[in-house]
Amino acid sequence: MPAVTPLEAEYREWLVTRLSGYLRRPENDINVCIPFSEYGMDSVAALSLFGDIEDAFGLYLEPTVAWDYPTIEALARFLVRAGKDGEL
Amino acid sequence: MLSRLNDTPCSGDPAQGPQAAEGPHAAEGPQTARGPQAAQESQAYGATPDPGCADLDAGELRIRERVAAFEGLLGDPRDAGNPFGNAALLEADERGELPAEAERALAGFRLNDEFVPRELGGNLDRIDGLARVLRPLFRRDASLGLGYGVTSFLAAIAVWAAGDEAQRNWTAELLRDGGRLAIAYHELAHGNDFVRNEFSARPDGSGGYLLDGRKDVINNAGRAEGLVLFCLTAPPGQRGPRSHSVLLVDTAGLPEDRWSVTDRYRTVGVRGCQVAGFSFERCRVPGSALVGRQGGGVETALRSFQITRSVVPGMVLGGADTALRTVVRFATSRELYRRSVLDIPHAQATVASAFTDLLVCDSICLAATRAVHLLPEQTSVYAAAVKYLVPKLLQDACYNLSIVLGANFYVRDGDYGVFQKHVRDLPMVSLGHAGSAACQATIIPQLPRLARRSWGQGTPAPEALFRTGGGLPPLDTDRLVLAAEDDALVASLLAAVDRLEGPAEAGAELAPVRALLRALVAELNRVREECLALGPHDRTAMASPHAYALADRYTLLLAGSACVNVWLAQRQGGGAGGDGAGFLADPRWVVAALTRVCRHLGLALPEEADEHSEWMLAEVLCRYHEGRSFDLYDTPLAGPLVVDEPAAARH
Repeated sequence: MPAVTPLEAEYREWLVTRLSGYLRRPENDINVCIPFSEYGMDSVAALSLFGDIEDAFGLYLEPTVAWDYPTIEALARFLVRAGKDGEL
Repeated sequence: MLSRLNDTPCSGDPAQGPQAAEGPHAAEGPQTARGPQAAQESQAYGATPDPGCADLDAGELRIRERVAAFEGLLGDPRDAGNPFGNAALLEADERGELPAEAERALAGFRLNDEFVPRELGGNLDRIDGLARVLRPLFRRDASLGLGYGVTSFLAAIAVWAAGDEAQRNWTAELLRDGGRLAIAYHELAHGNDFVRNEFSARPDGSGGYLLDGRKDVINNAGRAEGLVLFCLTAPPGQRGPRSHSVLLVDTAGLPEDRWSVTDRYRTVGVRGCQVAGFSFERCRVPGSALVGRQGGGVETALRSFQITRSVVPGMVLGGADTALRTVVRFATSRELYRRSVLDIPHAQATVASAFTDLLVCDSICLAATRAVHLLPEQTSVYAAAVKYLVPKLLQDACYNLSIVLGANFYVRDGDYGVFQKHVRDLPMVSLGHAGSAACQATIIPQLPRLARRSWGQGTPAPEALFRTGGGLPPLDTDRLVLAAEDDALVASLLAAVDRLEGPAEAGAELAPVRALLRALVAELNRVREECLALGPHDRTAMASPHAYALADRYTLLLAGSACVNVWLAQRQGGGAGGDGAGFLADPRWVVAALTRVCRHLGLALPEEADEHSEWMLAEVLCRYHEGRSFDLYDTPLAGPLVVDEPAAARH
């Protein structure tokens, strides 16, 4: 397993904060490896995550990005790549 | 009655072409063709091409001719021998059956062609046209509307949107031959949380799938030749938005000992619909059943819903038209205190308000169905908005009308029996497929972003969105996106304000429109502030009641935008065949409509607000007596001219 880079850690931290806000759960209760849907985040609500990412980081993504990368771990890693390649 | 209402607006609507051009009493008009005899001959109503239609495009003419031919087939609703008459449909409803004779007539009319894209041999090319063609049937009976046909369309749209060529051809052929498709997305235990669905299709190791589980409350489950199934295809334990797939299954190819149709459900409304369920046990289907890609089920469903949620409310509106017509019939013929019920101011106001609400509903239906073509990137919000708002307004209007009907509301047969049937049917067709809470849950997560990015700086919709007819770009389901980036209807509300505050529309007679629009813009600003303040937890299905209320207010603002822009388009002759001078171009209806919208929003009404009850009532009575629809299209209806019965005639 590759080490988590500082940028990836930043994305993770931001996503943990977002998710804890969405779900009204304490941040330390959120596991980065558990899918969003397992936390009770419905598919339509997950669609709004792409807009938050766009507003926070200026990354233009598909609305379904949180469906394709359904955990904080997977999404943070994807955001690192998306940031390097521009629009994916 | 009419003689006392001198300022009658009943001059025919330019949007209706032949009627308006020839006048309501011309030789080709409806009355000569009416009566039981004419109904049997499938006389077309008001479709005769005439010079007034010269500027109509071929698509618009086709829709009008089809609507008129359909109305002709459906015949006089008060003819006791007519299979589409009130008496026959009420009896079938009491028996919990779809009348076989009526179904055969619909097959003969090739109604299923409406659900098949034109390139596959059908008539489907415009979503607003689909709503308009089906509306006459929903004026008669929602059970037939859903049970004969629309259920097949709800299922087929997934195939049109995501299916391969073979699936599209098979589905087109099935429907065009009069066959049926059942749609099985939901499961009782999971409601609209269909990602939790447990009905599974597991790869069987040799390229096919094994179906396992139950689907409940499925219309036409026992008699559909094709099934569109929403199935869990991911391995056990993996649940998410990419875990499900849509399968198209030919029931003729299923091993008989591996599946069965479960007992029929009896329902409160649409009692004729054959609602049952399926049970499958390790039932093999070929790999070619997969529609789109594996794991693409939720996406296909959400894309399909954008079309079905847009179009169904526009059909259902027909039921409220009949409810209103029934109450007008009662109120003009029933004598109380030596006067007709319609002499009572409360009854007058209720009837006028119901008609205005129907116009409000039709305006947002028009915008939503045309948005599928013109603003596919934004349809996710508008489709949910119209599916939420229209059934709610129609049900509220029917409730108010039921008070005028009094004890007759509870009578299940006779002259007014259809009222209670439509009142029972309306919530069923509203709940089926997407309940109002599910629609609000689609809107709420999008509101903060739209409020921040689009409201105040968005691009207004093209004027064509608000025309009551006229050509549209082809339907392209690939352009439907799952989350809206812009909000043209809100921008169009603001654009209408700019136009009315500018020199072009400075007339003093428009002061009430301006005042009402200012009230709506003030409300928009409040809604915007509250949307921006929504917390992240309000984006999920667990959103607070406050977030649901915000979605409600937002949909009413969209309705207000649709009304004022439909009116503006008519003012400049923007309706197909319009000349800017008919009923819909008159500012009084839009003042009444915006006043209703403000009332529904619970706003303090500006001084200039006015429901124009007397004027709207005169229009209702004129359309009632001449037999024309209570919607934007003012369509000629089948049946003889209505002559008031003795109680009212004595006045």
